[in-house]
Amino acid sequence: MHPATWFLMGAFFLPVFKRMGLMKVVLIAVPLMAFLQIQWLPESFGQVSYLGIDLVFGRVDSLTRVFLHVFTLMAIIGCVYGLHVKETGQHIAAFLYVAGSLGVTLCGDYLTLFIFWELMAVASTFLIWYRKKKRSVQAGYRYLLVHVAGGLILLAGIFLRYKNVHDLSFVRIAAQGATTADYLIMIGFMLNAAVPPIHAWLPDAYPEASVTGAVFMCAFTTKTAVYVLARAFPGFEALAILGAVMTLYGVGYAVVENDARRILAYHIVSQVGYMVCGVGIGTAMSVNGACAHAYAHIIYKALLFMGAGAVLEMTGKSKLSELGGLYKRMPWAMIFTVIGGISISGFPLTSGFISKSMIIAAAGESHRTILMLMMTLASVGTFLSVGIKLPYFIWFGKDSGVPAKEAPWNMNLGMAIAAFLCFFMGVYPEYLYKMLPFPVSYHPYTAYHLSETLQLMGFTGLGFYIMVKKLTPAPKMNLDLDWFYRKGARVFMWIASRPVDAVNNWANQVYRTVGFKMTLAFARALSWFDWEGIDWVIDGSARGVVKGGDKLRTLMTGKIQQYIGGAVAITFIVLILVLLV
Amino acid sequence: MMKRILEYLNKHSKVLRNLFFAFLLGAVAYDFFATRHGAHFFGDSIMGFWSVFGIFGCLGMIVVCKGLSHVWLEKEEEYYDK
Repeated sequence: MHPATWFLMGAFFLPVFKRMGLMKVVLIAVPLMAFLQIQWLPESFGQVSYLGIDLVFGRVDSLTRVFLHVFTLMAIIGCVYGLHVKETGQHIAAFLYVAGSLGVTLCGDYLTLFIFWELMAVASTFLIWYRKKKRSVQAGYRYLLVHVAGGLILLAGIFLRYKNVHDLSFVRIAAQGATTADYLIMIGFMLNAAVPPIHAWLPDAYPEASVTGAVFMCAFTTKTAVYVLARAFPGFEALAILGAVMTLYGVGYAVVENDARRILAYHIVSQVGYMVCGVGIGTAMSVNGACAHAYAHIIYKALLFMGAGAVLEMTGKSKLSELGGLYKRMPWAMIFTVIGGISISGFPLTSGFISKSMIIAAAGESHRTILMLMMTLASVGTFLSVGIKLPYFIWFGKDSGVPAKEAPWNMNLGMAIAAFLCFFMGVYPEYLYKMLPFPVSYHPYTAYHLSETLQLMGFTGLGFYIMVKKLTPAPKMNLDLDWFYRKGARVFMWIASRPVDAVNNWANQVYRTVGFKMTLAFARALSWFDWEGIDWVIDGSARGVVKGGDKLRTLMTGKIQQYIGGAVAITFIVLILVLLV
Repeated sequence: MMKRILEYLNKHSKVLRNLFFAFLLGAVAYDFFATRHGAHFFGDSIMGFWSVFGIFGCLGMIVVCKGLSHVWLEKEEEYYDK
């Protein structure tokens, strides 16, 4: 059975289970069953031939397994965290979203991929809308439009590829000889991976999503995109360069932003950059690193979103300029978020230390020194923005006096599980390494790597200590490339409402005064032409039709029995002809 | 309990700061003893390279990002709502 079936069935029957008072049981049971089931998946299943195209719903190999493992694990954590949410719709959207993600991870052809791809886009839009603020409704529409546009680019690529190679199977595409079709597919994937310049949907939408919605969203869309890129496009130079640019682009915004969830959203761009770069470098070690980092990143980024979400849930605020001094009121959320922060920064004994370094070391071993230094600089910025700035201005800094209580037990439990996993992977890297698609020979705990990390983190801390006044967040926002379509849409609306509308009104006026009379005159002229001209030319044929009609009328008796009888007789004759010939 | 520990640490922030500086010295000192093999580029063979990279990278990033934000990108929060 396809593991997405659990989530689809769960989504479908959730309202019924809610009536029976079993919603919470189902919310835990469904992802748990899927998590257990993926261990027993056969190599391939669910091959369907439809309209002459072979659809493959299940194709399982080592690359699939590591992503399936973390996706289902994340679904469990997300469901625990969202257990208190009473709206069934939000859980249904989350389930469908996870189902889409599992479908994409397992599919073996582009058509199946596209269907689940769009399911993800639509379901996640609801996770934004469920915040039910005006801003989130607007952001949800923008999110959906951008993803539909990306989906269409992907679909165009799929069609063109089918025309070129007459094969829809979803396999590795060689960097040499890649055609326009392949690049269109890559752009479709890159949009979901939030690669600049088509990344702005992410920091636009995620901060406006519902508290639990954001926890789900930060895990699935971009990492599913990393999976499909790793499947189809390893070794593409464009990905290596754009990935390294991404790491710095995202972290740059994270340094200056004010809203906690916006900082984290920008930071997804930065972190996914490491994975995209790892896929782009394309060696066994770098693709391994991309997978390992995706696994570790999903857990600690979700942990950070859970921490920021808990603060938002309890205080109604997420802007750093309105928060501060919360350590007295929400100490547990603080501990967990700081664990997420040091994991993402790659502290020794945490998961970031064993995953991120793998990509950086792979860049070094492939003699890509510039890429390596760009990614190292981005990890300095990571520690600065998410490791120190974010926790400092929420839990320490100036006490804002915002009233707050500890988050509900289930939120803290979700965070605790994720925090445990961060340390578990850091202490016991074999757990992660043995799941990776290629054999691992990398050892993270060398003296030099330790020394490098301690120096980088320590002196970044010193930099923060010196510049803390400069970093105090102000209630502002920063422009990004979504400016083009947000302001561009306004220009479009202005043109539609002013010039186009004016021209339309003017044309109406002209038509009413001039056109109407002209139409009448024209009609009179036509009718004269019809009577005097046409009839004169084809008078003969018209008379012929009249005669034929008279003959037909004698056949049409108007009795329905005779018509049915005739129809049956004709069918009988046709059948006999078909059978004999 | 957690609250009390944190308040205790907050009260002794001077001690924490001195511990932090001691840690920085220790990190640089450790770099002189760490065994290195398979240097990827010139920086890997310079003692304390990553300390310099860390501090200048951090300060540079703050100056560049904050600078760009102040002179160009920063807008009111209601910028798009107007």
